Amino acid sequence: MNLLFRELKANSRSLLIWTLALAVLNFSLMALFPAFADGAEQMDEFMAMLPEEFARMFGLDRLNLAEPIGFYAIEAYFMVILFGGIFAAILGTTMLGKEEDEKTAEFLLAKPISRHYVVTGKVLATAIQLLVFNMVIGLVTLASFEIFAPDYSIGELLPLLVAPLVAQLALAALGLLLSVFITRRKSALSVGIGFVLGFYFLHAVAAISDKLEFLKFATPFWYMDAAGIVEHGGIELWKVAVLAGVAALSVGATYLLYKKKDIKI
Amino acid sequence: MNVIEARGLTKYYGKSRGIVDVDLTVAQGEIFGFIGPNGAGKSTTIRLLLNFIFPTRGHAQVLGKDIVKHSPAIKAEVGYIPGEVDYYDDMTAGELFAYSDRYYKKDCRQRTRQLVEMFDLDTKKKFRELSLGNKKKVAIIQALQHQPQLLVLDEPTGGLDPLMQRRFFQLLREENKGGVTVFFSSHILSEVQRLCHRVAIIGEGSVLKVEDMSDLRRTHFRNVRASFAGDVPDLDLPGILSSQVDNNTLQVFFGGDINELVACLSAHNLTGLWVEEPSLEDVFMHYYEEEGEQ
Repeated sequence: MNLLFRELKANSRSLLIWTLALAVLNFSLMALFPAFADGAEQMDEFMAMLPEEFARMFGLDRLNLAEPIGFYAIEAYFMVILFGGIFAAILGTTMLGKEEDEKTAEFLLAKPISRHYVVTGKVLATAIQLLVFNMVIGLVTLASFEIFAPDYSIGELLPLLVAPLVAQLALAALGLLLSVFITRRKSALSVGIGFVLGFYFLHAVAAISDKLEFLKFATPFWYMDAAGIVEHGGIELWKVAVLAGVAALSVGATYLLYKKKDIKI
Repeated sequence: MNVIEARGLTKYYGKSRGIVDVDLTVAQGEIFGFIGPNGAGKSTTIRLLLNFIFPTRGHAQVLGKDIVKHSPAIKAEVGYIPGEVDYYDDMTAGELFAYSDRYYKKDCRQRTRQLVEMFDLDTKKKFRELSLGNKKKVAIIQALQHQPQLLVLDEPTGGLDPLMQRRFFQLLREENKGGVTVFFSSHILSEVQRLCHRVAIIGEGSVLKVEDMSDLRRTHFRNVRASFAGDVPDLDLPGILSSQVDNNTLQVFFGGDINELVACLSAHNLTGLWVEEPSLEDVFMHYYEEEGEQ
């Protein structure tokens, strides 16, 4: 608990900045919705002119920009899941290694605690931060719907607010596993940003190219893709299970590896 | 009871050597010096004992508990001062002590206040704003605040001014009188000589010799340099462990009765004579060569 509170306090500023930035972004995008809905016909004409692959990548073929949910899914959702994913990955990749980078591992591990305790504190701190992050953004987004697009169904919106959390938890867990090996903060940041952008690129490629469509299974963004969720009317359980499995395996491996690790100081 | 007992403790970092087959026995109530040049394996040994790293082979017990299996239980009774002091930049010294305190079952606040007063430390300052000497004080206080049974000190005096160093040594002696065992690593022979009861000399990853401090004092190693008006004479004394001639100057590493040497030298026409305490390197080289001959 001691370590958990310390982590939450130490990360509180960065959590606040990321949360505010994305909440404000969502709110401002939804503020544009009324203008979009008014010009829906022109928008449809414009969309029809876009190349087919491009439309597919953003789910324009399955979503309707003139409806609140469609608008949110196309304009705002990918920002939350992509930038939120980067936030989650960085949280993960810096989590364990930073004690070695800042040379505080010698202090922490001289306390009467086990390596398991350290990993548990860090895992909980990561999960709680992501929970708070998504809850605040979710509430702000709900408020923005009420204000700018009151004609929406909560049943359709809720899955879109929960899905980013699922993807972020998986990305953070992968990051945490990497942080066993990455003990320099700078490399932890670039690895965190890099592998999330890599996944996003895979997602785009799989959506555009028929031949490379199978790649979609390798990226968390496909599992929590907005168009898929809206089309299916919710998040498919097996997709949640896959991401939860990845997260559980990563965290499990982190416990095993960190328990046996030589701490570099 | 032995507080530290290591048998065949060995650590390789990949292919590069950390320590090889280190045997150590430190009894309860001892102040035990662990001395050797940089890179000899002092920090590696300490990090093994505290389970920051895992032994390649061999094993050790601290306070009767296995260093790998029971590390958390060991650490409840161990205070550690690292060689390089680094704590969380965003914390003040006071916050760090409170954070550290919460990891122990006992309440350390009173002892912490005493120590802060003793070392005259401003606990309101952020850690990164402290000077090296003050950072060291923070390390000393957080190592002692939970009243451990064993203190593990990795070159703890670097950065402390002479006054604080004296206060620190005094504190260690008091703690020791109260039953605390001290494991003190250093590369400075004189500070080990001032404080320790027994000393292990480590070089290139192996323990070369374990000696009682009183025995080490009795051997009285000296660096003697004598310059002569004429040619350097041939001296043949049992205490001369190595010698070197440079123009009219003779340099001797001497380990016998100094009176014999002076008597012998006085028969010649001297222009200068220097008798110095040898550096650790000289003593260490002597033991190292002796080890090589055996």
